[in-house]
Amino acid sequence: MPGRHRPLWLLAPGAVLTVLVIVVPLAVALHISLLDLDQYSFRQWVRAPFVGLANYTEAVRASGAVHAIVLSTSYAAIVTVVTLPIGVAAALATQDRFRGRGLVRSVFLVPYVLPAFVVGTVWRIILQPDGVANGLLARLGIDGGLWLNGRQSFWALVVVQIWASWPLLYLLALAGLQSVDPVLHEAAALDGAGWWDKLRYVIFPHLRGPVGLAVIIAFLHNINNFTLPFVLFGVPSPRDVEVLPVLTYVESFQNFRFGLSAAMAVLSLVLIAIPLAGYLRAVRLDVGQDGVDQGSRA
Amino acid sequence: MTAKRVVSALSGAILLASTLAGCGSDSGSTGGGETLNVLIGANTIYPEEQRKWFDDISARFERESGATVRFETFATPNDELTKIQTSVLSGQGPDIYAIGTTFTPTVYATGAFLELTPDDWTKLGGRDRFLPATLGISGPDREHEVGVPFTTRPFVMAYNRELLAAAGIDKPAESWDGLREQAKRLTTGGRYGMAVAYADSFDPWKFVWAMSLQAGNPLVSDGKARLDEPTVRDAYRTYLGWLATDRVVDPAAVGWKNAQAIAAFGAGRAAYLPMVSATSKVTLDASAVAGKYGYAVMPTVPPGATARPAGGQDATSILSGDNLVVAKYTKHRDLALVLVKLLTSPDQQRTYYETFGELPTDASAATALQADPALAAMVDSSARSVATPFSGAWSQVQLALVNVVVQSVPGLSAGRVDESRLSTLLAQAQSSAQAALDKAK
Repeated sequence: MPGRHRPLWLLAPGAVLTVLVIVVPLAVALHISLLDLDQYSFRQWVRAPFVGLANYTEAVRASGAVHAIVLSTSYAAIVTVVTLPIGVAAALATQDRFRGRGLVRSVFLVPYVLPAFVVGTVWRIILQPDGVANGLLARLGIDGGLWLNGRQSFWALVVVQIWASWPLLYLLALAGLQSVDPVLHEAAALDGAGWWDKLRYVIFPHLRGPVGLAVIIAFLHNINNFTLPFVLFGVPSPRDVEVLPVLTYVESFQNFRFGLSAAMAVLSLVLIAIPLAGYLRAVRLDVGQDGVDQGSRA
Repeated sequence: MTAKRVVSALSGAILLASTLAGCGSDSGSTGGGETLNVLIGANTIYPEEQRKWFDDISARFERESGATVRFETFATPNDELTKIQTSVLSGQGPDIYAIGTTFTPTVYATGAFLELTPDDWTKLGGRDRFLPATLGISGPDREHEVGVPFTTRPFVMAYNRELLAAAGIDKPAESWDGLREQAKRLTTGGRYGMAVAYADSFDPWKFVWAMSLQAGNPLVSDGKARLDEPTVRDAYRTYLGWLATDRVVDPAAVGWKNAQAIAAFGAGRAAYLPMVSATSKVTLDASAVAGKYGYAVMPTVPPGATARPAGGQDATSILSGDNLVVAKYTKHRDLALVLVKLLTSPDQQRTYYETFGELPTDASAATALQADPALAAMVDSSARSVATPFSGAWSQVQLALVNVVVQSVPGLSAGRVDESRLSTLLAQAQSSAQAALDKAK
């Protein structure tokens, strides 16, 4: 269908919504990040002093944002890398029909359907100095120590986030597996392929798309995760788990430095745009059926 | 495919329309009579009673003035802040807010709330009818007051009478050093001298503030932060030392919030529970120590001293409770003042105390309660409460103070308070507090 005959006007409501819900707030956030907006000026925020890039320099030089970015990125990367094999393995394990498969599949989804607030609260209780986790470790003769503050708190965050987020990888891997034509399995079996060869040459290529998407989504979820660290550790946050979303929150709602906080939010947007752009390029999600032409225009 | 598109377009349009409608619906007045909107903290201990109280007040106000009152609640201080921010920005929202005392300076700094003129105070029944201590954080000075004292929740400490008697202690100590010595004697057989919530987001600064002020340092004076001083260092050393060196607190307390400390005391596992208000009574009366505990004012002699030094203040507690503020954007200014007068009237304050256990700010209502021995410590502490510094930057100072404790906790398991680490943290706290104060207007 030639472009000019398409009923593009039908997209108008969506476009208006996009402008209202995404473009306008984004523009406002960008604008605020250039203002010295605080509790003294926010009543008439339009008139707050314009400070150019001062908020960005302060964020980078003096606010702990760099430390937070390093922390957020490494935490998100570790969690994503660890959840990937767990998710894929769980999907493979529940691929074939067996008695009780439905139950196992539902149980696998439990961490994913629990609200982050509940996950955080429950783990906060488990990880108390005299909590269940340290009780179990003590039986093994290990002194668990402090999980909600100090160096181990980073690993506590990693472990809890792994627990809460692997089902996403599992779900998308499972979706990928469903799309593998059973004929391929039979053909591979006829050719005498072992389980590893079958996995390596038949199944994995089919999983690349959905699992790639899952990895990106998981990474973005992890890096943007506010609720879990906030509920687990509270504010002020121990230095070892002062991730970017929590720091941004503290600057806004505890220190009332809205400008500085907006600058941090913009920085984190840039941060998550990098893997996203890489991914969109790799899978060409932005290209329609009818060609590269569209993609290059977008 | 086309049908799907139409459906999505339609649903988009409906969503859009409802969003726009949502923006415009909060006009704040209904039908003939006027409506006042009041934002107040949700009472998690007495939710049913609070709903009933809302209805009672609305009914009574309607009888007396013909206008209705609509109460909205917020669950956390952050909810409240968000609501204040959006209302202040848009110039519409609740007419009256009930806000915490320590948050009043920040709210004042926004310049969005009504400064009470002498005429306004007269309409409220006179400024003199309030307990003087409760007016301590209504404004930066008498000419610029925004907050009308509504309730007061002074901090005290609970003590287990049986455990104290068993250790041969006849009354709670009046100095922090004395409290530590008593706590040491009380720490035996799996029981600890004190229950302290080291992981609470607010408790720690209240201790440090009280000890410093008793030693003569108000932490902020004339726009200068005074966090990196020996008095403050002594306060942290004492507070952290209870756990690290004196070992009079359960080591697990590094993970406790206030509620967990109350629970530990309620289970009889600690002899003292400092830094609680009257609201703890509900929990404790339903616990294993019901009938075996009492309240006393916290020590007012600073650490390392046997008597309060010259310049030190007799501060038993921060000035704690709620103030009522009226928004400048309100279209019902006089009506709002009438409602504030009703809410702070002696009989309402008595009802409020009887329902929620929060103490009155009206002097005559407070005097009437003084006779109750169970409340003696609270009433005493209420009169000896001292307001935290009136600065729009106080929230940041508070955060800096708590941060020192949070970042010190991992080192405490080594069995000492690391002096060099404390110095670094105090220097950081000082500089961030000073930076916040420098921005204050």
